[in-house]
Amino acid sequence: MRSKHLISGFAVLGAIALGSLTVSPLDAQPASKLRIIQTNFGGDSVHIIDPATNKVVREIKGFETVHGVIAAPDGSRIYFSSESENAVIAVDGKTLQRIKSIPLSGNPNLIDITPDGKSIYAAIALTYDDVSEFPTVKAGPTGGVDVIDTVSLTKIKTIAMKGGVHDLNVTPDGKFVIVGNSRGGRANIMSVVDTKTNDVAWTLPMDPAPSPMAVSKKADGSTDKIYAQNGRDNGFQVIDFATRKIGQTVTLPDISGQEKNPFGPPAVSHGLMVTPDQKTLVVISRGNSALYTYSLPDVKYIGVVTLGGKGAGWLVLTPDSKRAYVANEHTNTTSAVDLATLKELAVIPVGFVPSRNAIWMQP
Amino acid sequence: MKWASSLVVVAASLVGISVGSLGHAAAPLPAAKAGVALDYEFFKTRVQPVFLLKREGHGRCYVCHSNNNARFHLVMLSPGATSWNEAQSKQNFELIKRVAVPGSIDSPIVMHPLDEKAGGHPHHGGGQQFESQSDPAWQTLKGFVLGEKVASR
Repeated sequence: MRSKHLISGFAVLGAIALGSLTVSPLDAQPASKLRIIQTNFGGDSVHIIDPATNKVVREIKGFETVHGVIAAPDGSRIYFSSESENAVIAVDGKTLQRIKSIPLSGNPNLIDITPDGKSIYAAIALTYDDVSEFPTVKAGPTGGVDVIDTVSLTKIKTIAMKGGVHDLNVTPDGKFVIVGNSRGGRANIMSVVDTKTNDVAWTLPMDPAPSPMAVSKKADGSTDKIYAQNGRDNGFQVIDFATRKIGQTVTLPDISGQEKNPFGPPAVSHGLMVTPDQKTLVVISRGNSALYTYSLPDVKYIGVVTLGGKGAGWLVLTPDSKRAYVANEHTNTTSAVDLATLKELAVIPVGFVPSRNAIWMQP
Repeated sequence: MKWASSLVVVAASLVGISVGSLGHAAAPLPAAKAGVALDYEFFKTRVQPVFLLKREGHGRCYVCHSNNNARFHLVMLSPGATSWNEAQSKQNFELIKRVAVPGSIDSPIVMHPLDEKAGGHPHHGGGQQFESQSDPAWQTLKGFVLGEKVASR
């Protein structure tokens, strides 16, 4: 789901391609085991899409109100964060059966994994369960980030933070976790966690706080830029990781009124990602139900495609940097988009309120 | 649908909220009908179970609405409990008045989870919970805002 994760998947794909004398992962179909995992926030299942056919090949029941999803770099496991269980659920990649449900400190949102697959970071949102001043319902002090050790499958630490956390990204080199303290609490900061100590290394005041984010890397693999949406604006900001300065602010070009999706808020633009080849920033707009592309590193606008579904709320990119799969939350579909031509290839029916999705290489 | 359209405009214009928060800007509620009152016993025994019911293909209402800060909120169940106690039910009854207007089926608790194709709102964060107005659970929500009492069923 993250660039570094996609790169790991790309390496696996490369090995497969060499072994079978095929050229590219998508051209290698049907032999490729590349899959898109699509969660359904309003449903009780997850869908697995084969990008070779752009069809659902399997639906796994028993995942009520799943929020985040990430696959182990080797594909051996899939991890889901469940809002109904307040847990991360580890699933075996071969049997697709649950291995363990790992209790968390609160209500989980997005999750991410380190490049070595050893640690998972779970965003913990504020939980509104304090009725001590009823009829006011207040949030409990549960925001932060939970750290999970994937060897023992246990939560090893809760990093308490001001404000609830909705989105986080492990950097491509695995050294840091970029955290948007955006889920209530008026924190108005971005926090950066050092994965060696699992403590907050530094913070950057941002109003509104960033969420979601995407991370690009330099040639040496270290973190270059953070691209951050903020829920309020239909666009994103560019943050230089080394200098900790906010630079460019970009507003997504508008589209014609009839193509707009009026139900954009609370986060009118929610989802952006850097292609694994680091050449393109892909940004979606829930308010416009559209996908935009920008060239990198110059952040120059390339184009837009309006989607067949409504309410673009999340996306994932294929390891070859050629396609995006966009979750259309309001119309229960996932769009497959060719990034070079900006053509929608398919609109794939899935479950209720498709949300986060991820790349998975079947073992 | 005119009301739904106004909801769209209002919701789209009120974006000065905390980022990523589910505290959606609240659209104005429809007007209450004189002489209609919400019935607590009907709420406790008929409506609350709808929020806990696991329906095929859907997430339960309770999962999101006990966690987030949406206008419609339910108090957390006590640890190990499968339903609310009396004190909690009374709190839920107070909270649901934020989205249940006596005498109005345009109340958000009725229209928000109903599929747009069946006359409901265009978008609900938990999906189209009720595909048609003939769904018994939706009928229960409708009956509640229209002042239905336990004895009348």
